[in-house]
Amino acid sequence: MMRPDFFQFLRSPLLWVPVILAALLPYGLSSYHLAIGTLALLYVSLALSWNIVGGMAGQISLTHSVFVGCGAIFASSLLVRLGVNLWIAMAIAAAVSAAIGVFIALVDSRFRLGHLSFALVTLAFAEIGELVVSGSEWLGGASGIDLPKDRGQFWQFQFGGGSGYFWAALVLALICLVVSQAILSSRLGYFLRAVRDNEDAAQAIGIRLFRAKAMAMAISAALSSVAGTLYARYSNFVDPSLLASPNLTIEIVLVATIGGLGTPLGPLLAALVLIPCGELLRGRFGGSLPGLHFFLYGVLIIIVVLTSPEGMVPRLFGLWKRFVAGRARSRDV
Amino acid sequence: MSTEMLEVSGLTAGYAGPAVLQDVSLDVNAGELVGLLGANNAGKSTLINCVSGLIAPRAGRIRFLGEDITRLKPDQIVARGIVQVPEGRQVFPRMSVLDNLLLGGTLPAARADRVRRLEQVYALFPRMQERSAQYAGTLSGGEQQMLAIGRAMMAGPKLLMLDEPSLGLSPLFVQSIFRALRGLNAEGLTMLLVEQNLTLTLSCATRGVVLERGQVAIAGDAAALAADPRTRQAYLGL
Amino acid sequence: MELLLQATVQGLLVGGAYALVALSLGLTYNVSGIINFAHGDFLTLSMFLALAMQVAFRLDPYISGVLLFPVLFVLGAGVYHFLLRPVAHRHLLMVIQLTLGITFVVQNGLLMSFGGQPMRVPSAYEASLILIGDELAIRTPQLLAFVGSLVLALLLWLVLDHTETGRRIRAVHQNPRAAALMGIDVPRLRMVIFGVGIGIQALAGVLLVPGQPVEPALGFRYTVIPLMALVMGGLTDFRGVYLGALLIGVTEALGTVYVSGTSGMMVPYGLFILVLLLRPQGLFRRA
Repeated sequence: MMRPDFFQFLRSPLLWVPVILAALLPYGLSSYHLAIGTLALLYVSLALSWNIVGGMAGQISLTHSVFVGCGAIFASSLLVRLGVNLWIAMAIAAAVSAAIGVFIALVDSRFRLGHLSFALVTLAFAEIGELVVSGSEWLGGASGIDLPKDRGQFWQFQFGGGSGYFWAALVLALICLVVSQAILSSRLGYFLRAVRDNEDAAQAIGIRLFRAKAMAMAISAALSSVAGTLYARYSNFVDPSLLASPNLTIEIVLVATIGGLGTPLGPLLAALVLIPCGELLRGRFGGSLPGLHFFLYGVLIIIVVLTSPEGMVPRLFGLWKRFVAGRARSRDV
Repeated sequence: MSTEMLEVSGLTAGYAGPAVLQDVSLDVNAGELVGLLGANNAGKSTLINCVSGLIAPRAGRIRFLGEDITRLKPDQIVARGIVQVPEGRQVFPRMSVLDNLLLGGTLPAARADRVRRLEQVYALFPRMQERSAQYAGTLSGGEQQMLAIGRAMMAGPKLLMLDEPSLGLSPLFVQSIFRALRGLNAEGLTMLLVEQNLTLTLSCATRGVVLERGQVAIAGDAAALAADPRTRQAYLGL
Repeated sequence: MELLLQATVQGLLVGGAYALVALSLGLTYNVSGIINFAHGDFLTLSMFLALAMQVAFRLDPYISGVLLFPVLFVLGAGVYHFLLRPVAHRHLLMVIQLTLGITFVVQNGLLMSFGGQPMRVPSAYEASLILIGDELAIRTPQLLAFVGSLVLALLLWLVLDHTETGRRIRAVHQNPRAAALMGIDVPRLRMVIFGVGIGIQALAGVLLVPGQPVEPALGFRYTVIPLMALVMGGLTDFRGVYLGALLIGVTEALGTVYVSGTSGMMVPYGLFILVLLLRPQGLFRRA
């Protein structure tokens, strides 16, 4: 099933040392910086789960706002309107998201959409999703939903204050990372790469395309949905213009692409660097220049696509390797 | 009367990876019909695509009527009078035969003569006149080849380069197309003919050049090449 | 009955305006092979520029449109030449990522310059109505937008089908390599056509702007709807694209009236998905 490198990855200090250091951050950071850290970790989860479809399988899904919105809005509505425990609501929303994902994959392979049609269909789904939310009173409409006050009751999916949500986001990001690595080290990852590189050939060598894509979509959708639920509970309020809007997907796509698709490291590091930078910029210039950080993301992605289409992280690694090799050579002389 | 028209010297070219052409030199004089022969993947198409400016060579030089054209763009090369009839015809399928022909003479210099040249093409291939309103994509392979040649003639070429005009055509069409080419050459049009069909090409060419794995294997008079056993050897890649 | 007629006419008028945006998107896509996810953002850009010119010089948007055309032409040609051409022949993913990046730049550039509040651009005929019988009322700017876009579409069709330039454009669309062998400067033609496509957005922008509140985020909608019209019309068939846009306008209007508010706005998207699945070659073309 799993290749041995997956277990090496699980045991690697390169994984656990940063995680443990990150877990200690709430003891040293101000609440403002902790909030930025939590947001960054949520975006790590979103970027990593999008990367399973968009990066590994090379299918630009523009529908992820629906999954995030489902996790945030649908789960919150279940809690607020029907009194469903938020853990269970989270699971229901994740299952619904996964089902939508499988449906899109079904549509995709039944009708053999190309990469472009796939992007368009998923975009249409995203628009429909946004309209469903803004048109439905039950889902809070355009004004959103207020969640009940957080009393720190864990069994109610309440994590208390800033530190609690930081740790929860850290755990979720870690889960997304481990799942991504597990997919990469399994047959599924191999299938997805085949889909990305040449869909026709993948079909020809007998890969069950539908099963691979449906699995990827389901996992990716469910993880995005869970991140959505956590996001909603964390902010105590669901803002449909943020969480159900196609703009969210585009932001995720841009962050993941700047980092470098395919491997988890690119989206992971990109989210960890870009989101805090963006938030700091927004804190500094938000009043005078709203949108400055998005503007800079846009500029950055254009530069990245033109100069290092493989992404910043692989690019920097390549430069680092060359630098090290160069130093080794100069020592030999 | 051996004024040099096209002069390719030391040409090396290829896509990513090893070069398809290695240090190839070749001349075409005014009025000649030079056959460029060789097996599949010998580099024939790469060579004429370099001349047409579709591929930038890695090394070497291409001169036309004394001017260095190595780095010119495809449209500038057509404007100089080098016109290619590409492999597989490459007609514009969802345009009428007439539109295809008119596009051949779309350059400002050629546009003045379009009416006269159209008549010449119709005289050369009467079928084109019959089908002038039809979509080019509905023509048979042989008719498309006629159209591709006619389209190139609309530009008023000084040098016509043809890439495998006999490919995939019935013997009857091959006959009539080669008859037309021979006629054009007899009227003084210089040609560089890329072909796999050895006998047919050498029967109408002035000279021949055989490429083998990206290098010139043999070159010389058509008659001499036809008689030389090495020609066939190079050809079969022995 | 009255309502049906009013909604259908309303839908046709709006659809006509969509059609112009869809045709300019189709023109750039068919000639350059680039699907531009930032197409609609150039429309909002031109709307905001018209707004700025109205505030600064008291210029009517209809006049600004003519002045803005060359500005957006140069902008579009520049974007194509410096940003899009380098990735045009690479993986489709890169084109999508790049144009999404442009979307972010334009949208947030506008947000920084003009703020996020919806704004209105006053125009001479903004509030005037044309009454037909006693059942049908048409807003004059909408009629102007419909007629203007129809005229431009006819002009485009005339150029494409009956001029030497049009013949060259079709040649580059059908087989760029062969077009280059005809002596056509393919990269230059593509750049010019991209510029024209974006330039048309200036005209579409001012036709759409009277009575329409403009905000930076509007562009996305004007990318998605024309994209749907383009796909429904079969990508290359201009009449099909025009009809597709009208169909989207009408279904949207009918949906809003009969299915109620926002759920009605879903109807065109549902229709789009159905068309893509059942007739991927487009509504009006034979397989």
